[in-house]
Amino acid sequence: MAESPATSGPVRHVGFFYRTAKEYATTVAAFLGDGVAAGEPAFAALPAGQLGRVADALGADARRVEFADMTELGRNPGRIIPRVQAFIDLHGGQHVRYVGEPIWASRSRAELQEATRHEALVNLAFAGADAEILCPYDSTRLGQAVIAEARQTHPLLLSGGDEGTSPEYSGPFGLPSSCTAPLPAWPDTAMIHTYRSDLSQVRALVLKSAREAGLPDERAGDLVLAVSEVAANTLRHTPSPGTLVIWHDSHEIVCEIHDDGVITDPLAGRRRPAPAALGGHGLWLVHQVCDLVELRSDNTGTTVRMHMAIRSRRPLS
Amino acid sequence: MDLLTTSVATVESDSEPYTLVELTGEADVTNSDALREVLDTEVAKQPRTMIIDLSGLRFMDSSALHVILRANRVMDRQGGVLALASPREPVAKMLRLTAADQLIPVYPSVSEATAG
Repeated sequence: MAESPATSGPVRHVGFFYRTAKEYATTVAAFLGDGVAAGEPAFAALPAGQLGRVADALGADARRVEFADMTELGRNPGRIIPRVQAFIDLHGGQHVRYVGEPIWASRSRAELQEATRHEALVNLAFAGADAEILCPYDSTRLGQAVIAEARQTHPLLLSGGDEGTSPEYSGPFGLPSSCTAPLPAWPDTAMIHTYRSDLSQVRALVLKSAREAGLPDERAGDLVLAVSEVAANTLRHTPSPGTLVIWHDSHEIVCEIHDDGVITDPLAGRRRPAPAALGGHGLWLVHQVCDLVELRSDNTGTTVRMHMAIRSRRPLS
Repeated sequence: MDLLTTSVATVESDSEPYTLVELTGEADVTNSDALREVLDTEVAKQPRTMIIDLSGLRFMDSSALHVILRANRVMDRQGGVLALASPREPVAKMLRLTAADQLIPVYPSVSEATAG
């Protein structure tokens, strides 16, 4: 494990490519344990199966680390940055350590893309933070493309015990190409609806489809709120109609909103608005209630694709 | 039929009168200006207590929330108290997710709001 001096200054964001469970546990535990020894707040968000492994390697120090199950926290990767920000804020002024593993081999294409986008946005969101961030990648099971993009989203890499800068790092505003590629086409069975100001009808269509797809009432209500918030932006920010598209399969229901608006802030919806703020709650709520949110925005318009899982999640490998 | 209807009453109680605003239907960006006008008018009368009864509200979006947060800000400044009563689950969840429920007291019923 490379030395990690507790100097203040720009964030250190390290991609860690591991090959064995032992290397994983030893390295992650050393990173966290060094923080504990220095009296630094430490937070680890890992897939449930990895938590015990790291806690065992930490021994008694595990009690001084905050743990979270990444399959819950990072189910929608759009929720991770505000959670880490809350940890930093809680320990205001202190150097903090964070281990985050939002990428694992059994995640879907869309999930991997959004988790990769999250990794890229970490550089922007925490640019001024006094923090050390370690992001483990299972280099034996993840695809080449995922690893190649991790090299673009991390300024520093740790592999085989050697730490160094990543020559492929694309900077705090860089996004790997998969994050900006057009979204896959929707199926022929999709329902398409054009709206202008009748948001009540938009909500009724989403609720009906969600119930037909088998979404429980509470989650159907969540999806209605998310779609309504995005459709409200069409009314607020554009003079033209928006399009709602809904489809589902046995795993998930997906609602997509497309309009002529443009969202320029890459961190939109990833900062928790102050409770008294009179704006900024819309996309925040969308990320809080949806299982996954895909967003594409350029001069031609904005597409927001909101996913809700219907059954229990695919088991982790 | 309007998507959102509002009714306002001044209620005499054992202690002191309070303003009760009942919202029924769906509150969203298409009617938040109308909601703002209703609340502005009532807040301008500087009541000690204003209770918004949400029991008839099927849906509320962030535009409506912002109107309520704004009314709360003015009530605070005037030394008055705004409270929310009996939100249904989708609305209650939205108040929790935005942490608005930590800023404005939320009660299970109007009678509990008046007691609080």
